[in-house]
Amino acid sequence: MAHLNKSEAFRQGALIFVFLAVLTALEFFVAIAIGSVVLLVTIALVKFGLVLHYYMHIYKLNATEDPDIDQHSYAYKLTTSRLGLWLFLLSDSFVFGGLAVSRFYLLGLTRPPLNQILGLVVTSVLLLSSFFMNRAEVSMEHGDRKNFILFTSLTLVLGLAFVAGVLGVEWPSAMAEGVTPSTNAAGAIFFMMTGMHAFHVITGLIFLGVIIRNGSRGLYSPEKHWGVEAATVYWHFIDVVWIFFYPALYLIGKIF
Amino acid sequence: MKKFFSSALWHGFLWQAIGWTLGASFLTLIRVLMGLNPFATFGFTEPAWVFGGLVGALSFLGGSGVVSDWFKWAKGEETPEHHQDPDGWEKFINISLDHKVIGVQYTLSALLLLVIGGIFSLIFRTELAQHGLQFLSLQWYNTLMSLHGMVMIIGILLGIAGVINYILPLLIGAQDMAFPRLNAFSYWLAPPAAILLLSSMALGGFDTGWTGYPPLSARTPVGMQMFFLGVIVAGWSSVLGALNTIATVIRMRAKGMTAFRLPIFVWAAIATSIIAMTATQLIGLSFQMVMFQRLFGMGFFDPAKGGDPILFQHLFWFYSHPAVYVFILPGLGIISELLPVFVRKPLFGYRWIAMSSLGIALVGFLVWAHHMYTSGMNEYLRVPFMYSTLLVAVPTGVKFFSWVATIWRGKVTGPYPTAFLFVLGGIVVFLMGGLSGPPNATVATDLHLQDTYWIVGHFHDTLFGGYLLPFFAAIYFWFPKATGRRMNEALGRLHFWLMTPSFIVLTLLMMRIGLLGMRRRIADYDASLGFDPYHLVMTITAFVIAFSVLIFFINFFRSMKNGEPATGNLWNSRSPEWQVSSPMPVHNYDQPFEVVGEPYDYGLADSVYVKFANKKTGGRN
Amino acid sequence: MRHFVIVGVLVILVAALTNVGLNYIHLMPVEASAQSIPVDWLWNLDIEVISFLLALIIVPIAYSLVVFRRKKGDTTDAEHIEGNTPLEITWTIIPLFVVLIFAYLGAYTLGEIRVVDPSAAEIKVKAIQWAWSFQYPEGFISKELHLPVNKQVVLKMESGDVIHSFWVPEFRIKQDVLPGRVTDYRITPILVGNYMVRCAELCGTSHAYMEAPVVVSSQADYDAWVASQEAIAAVAAQTPEGRGEQLANASGCRGCHTIDGSKLVGPTWQGLFGSQVSLSDGTTVTADDAYITESIAKPSAKIVKGFETTTAMPKFDLTDAQIKDLVAYIATLK
Repeated sequence: MAHLNKSEAFRQGALIFVFLAVLTALEFFVAIAIGSVVLLVTIALVKFGLVLHYYMHIYKLNATEDPDIDQHSYAYKLTTSRLGLWLFLLSDSFVFGGLAVSRFYLLGLTRPPLNQILGLVVTSVLLLSSFFMNRAEVSMEHGDRKNFILFTSLTLVLGLAFVAGVLGVEWPSAMAEGVTPSTNAAGAIFFMMTGMHAFHVITGLIFLGVIIRNGSRGLYSPEKHWGVEAATVYWHFIDVVWIFFYPALYLIGKIF
Repeated sequence: MKKFFSSALWHGFLWQAIGWTLGASFLTLIRVLMGLNPFATFGFTEPAWVFGGLVGALSFLGGSGVVSDWFKWAKGEETPEHHQDPDGWEKFINISLDHKVIGVQYTLSALLLLVIGGIFSLIFRTELAQHGLQFLSLQWYNTLMSLHGMVMIIGILLGIAGVINYILPLLIGAQDMAFPRLNAFSYWLAPPAAILLLSSMALGGFDTGWTGYPPLSARTPVGMQMFFLGVIVAGWSSVLGALNTIATVIRMRAKGMTAFRLPIFVWAAIATSIIAMTATQLIGLSFQMVMFQRLFGMGFFDPAKGGDPILFQHLFWFYSHPAVYVFILPGLGIISELLPVFVRKPLFGYRWIAMSSLGIALVGFLVWAHHMYTSGMNEYLRVPFMYSTLLVAVPTGVKFFSWVATIWRGKVTGPYPTAFLFVLGGIVVFLMGGLSGPPNATVATDLHLQDTYWIVGHFHDTLFGGYLLPFFAAIYFWFPKATGRRMNEALGRLHFWLMTPSFIVLTLLMMRIGLLGMRRRIADYDASLGFDPYHLVMTITAFVIAFSVLIFFINFFRSMKNGEPATGNLWNSRSPEWQVSSPMPVHNYDQPFEVVGEPYDYGLADSVYVKFANKKTGGRN
Repeated sequence: MRHFVIVGVLVILVAALTNVGLNYIHLMPVEASAQSIPVDWLWNLDIEVISFLLALIIVPIAYSLVVFRRKKGDTTDAEHIEGNTPLEITWTIIPLFVVLIFAYLGAYTLGEIRVVDPSAAEIKVKAIQWAWSFQYPEGFISKELHLPVNKQVVLKMESGDVIHSFWVPEFRIKQDVLPGRVTDYRITPILVGNYMVRCAELCGTSHAYMEAPVVVSSQADYDAWVASQEAIAAVAAQTPEGRGEQLANASGCRGCHTIDGSKLVGPTWQGLFGSQVSLSDGTTVTADDAYITESIAKPSAKIVKGFETTTAMPKFDLTDAQIKDLVAYIATLK
């Protein structure tokens, strides 16, 4: 992957976001007009692939390394830490995988009655936050501390909005509709899935707070910003989970 | 005494108690403000106990100091690369980043849990020696039996972590694990987990067995929640330790250590860690879902709410079956690792043995529902699982045949060292366990065998043969490397010859009465079944086994101070760790080594496995 | 080469001896169901293979350790044999085939076990903590399972609370019983006799004691039993205490409450009516109509001293009339 300059990188990040937004609109359309689970899965996989490659930079795991590299050097430890982070995300995916399996086992191809507009709004907020997270990371990689702080803060604000949207608006709204944790299996799995995801978002927010604080104290540089990379990849991971959870909870079957 | 009260262990426990109390009180306050009852049968209400338990576990970690470096990093502070450990025994109850110290911590904790779990079994085996209830109530029986299972399982996981932690970096020429602080953290999750688990006895116990099936687990006393919490905390130890192992093998190998020049134990460790790092999350999830069903009425497994108890079983066994391969792959790896050293011959079919560990791990993910043949799940699903389960026999068979071929025409120097005895014992007992597997894999026969003592015999054989006996072999083998002294061979032989035949008799009798109608997990059985003599003999063998363990401990602790000195290549092994003196230096290898040959080329003149930068020797002495 | 021959002979010998020995000690209970026959057939095949494999692994190891033991004064290493690819392929492929064959045989025997007789009578089985009850098509409920020999019967089983499991060792087949759904247990008894069904899935405190008699009799004896049960039910239906007794049997009360004075999970009913009862809160009450009625309708209202930590009594779905009948029945137990 040829190294891009800052404005090229910004542009690429924006382009990917546009694709993601279009795909989200597409899956919403599929859910209104077609109701095909296969199509929804395909769209989700494409979004997943885009984020995995362009936002999370999974290809870095395959980067070539000098065979005689000093194993005590920062560069070596960085690669090792990166591996550790991805292994952790692999492990964590099994929790969400288990929840998804449970959802389909219990509810089959039915879905709980949820507010579609609300679902689309919180999804868009989270997607937008990933856009800004990418921008923040690009800024850091090019030594633009001011924009790094700005975009990370925007990510944090949007993340907070997501949590507020889910816990503060979606949950009460669902309960008003009779979908409560204790009514039935549909309610139980809805709250467990959104709750576990929100828990991860909250931990992600803490992580963002840490890198904003450390970043504003000048502790990161383009060469050394592992904390930023880790927070970024983790944040996008949370977005990836929602890429699958959103259609699983809101879009199965025909809506409207 | 003063050393104990300034230790991380003590501080951890203290803060766990404080955190538990504060957490439970805080939740009780919330309940009062919400107009709910503040107290219940066991003092605090169930939600308060659960929340308190969680806060307590987190407080242990904070109070012990194991997370302090990470907090410093979050604040942007630097921390020293290496910690200096104190010289004496107190280093084992404090935070150390040295994999060797952590390995010993894990191993000692494992032995402690094995003793606790063993004592539980002695208690209920005494009750079972005769029909009728002599001294245990039904609840206590169920609780002790259930705890025996889980305490032993966690003991196994800690023992595996102990062996892997101690020897894996040594085998691959690393100075330490890839993530030393994560390594320490993984260990220090174990003490609070054990406390949570054992606290269940004070909170009404639980009567579901270690499998915790709802609906029963949704309606047992509060002790059930402590069980769930304890397992979840211990599960994280397993996940993070496995992550560390994988990263270490990928990133920290010596030069020239290509895939098929890895010591075979490393292959076993990789296969084990792949499973432990991923599947463990599912037992956590399944337990979390029951916890939430109890706390919030979330009806995942409640048919009255559209839930399904069988979903729990799928989620649970998706981990718990691969888990048994986590339990045995390291032990089988130890057998493969040690055999060549004792028989002075290469490991026969090394590559196939390496692949068979991966094969078992991968196929092991596809067999879980063989625990559910009678569960009421979709009937036709049983057949594919029967096929996949029987398939695991193929890579397992590869290991057995390879071991036979390795031993064939080997030259073992008599009298057999204790470590070698335990390796042979492991092979025989694991063989018994493995052979009693296919009837369980086959649906038709399993309908008779499921939930009987046949199954109990099967898994005790596989676990003892696949884990415990090799674990003892590893201890007897590497004890000199860690301490510079040998364990006493006469006592070691006594340990082996008391333990192994007794265990074989125990499990054969278990299988016998299981076939004739002895169900598992029952506190009492009908006199008319005629099982009394069997149970009496089984109880006696249990005590003989316990006595042999006592002998082991006497040997273990005495040899640390008074064992025969053994500072060189005691076993004449080609493996790198034996090319340096014992006890192992703090930073392992002063000079890095390069792999220039095959690990098991015993019998090949002038062949060398590893070459140290400044040393001439690296193979045979 | 001769070593291989000797080992080969020893393996066959040890395998045969093991197999004979295992058969001699009669590993399995008597075959009392049609379904047990294919199960035991496959089991015996398994035992043969197990005997062979046990010998195949242990004999060469023992032989080698003895025959090739290190000679005195020999300090050399053994022969440098790393492997033998054709051999390794063989010992992967042959077991693979054996495994596939046994999987196929397993599927085949499973089919044999599940053969359906469309004229099979249906008996409803209710499992609750910690008792079985059997509802016959004729309408009566029994605490014992009676079956006619040589006729297929399908038990339709459901649990009232947690997972239980129905197992008669002599029948071989086992099937879990779940709440919220019905599982089938299809069996054709072939041997007249008295057996026991014992719960085979840990279901709580008294799991060990959750059992019921299973009586397989000739058609004539079976018909006579059915007739007598119908008569008993008819008589019982006419008095409150009779109905109460039937209800107590059907609802599984006897899983926790004995009628002979012995202590189980709950207090005994013998002599209960009219007695003085000490409660957990320190007070004493008389076990009159009102008390017993409340104890059934609202089980947690009053807890008897000594029963605080046992499993709580669940609330049963009973009408007021049914509760009155139960009280009447309990009053008769002296």
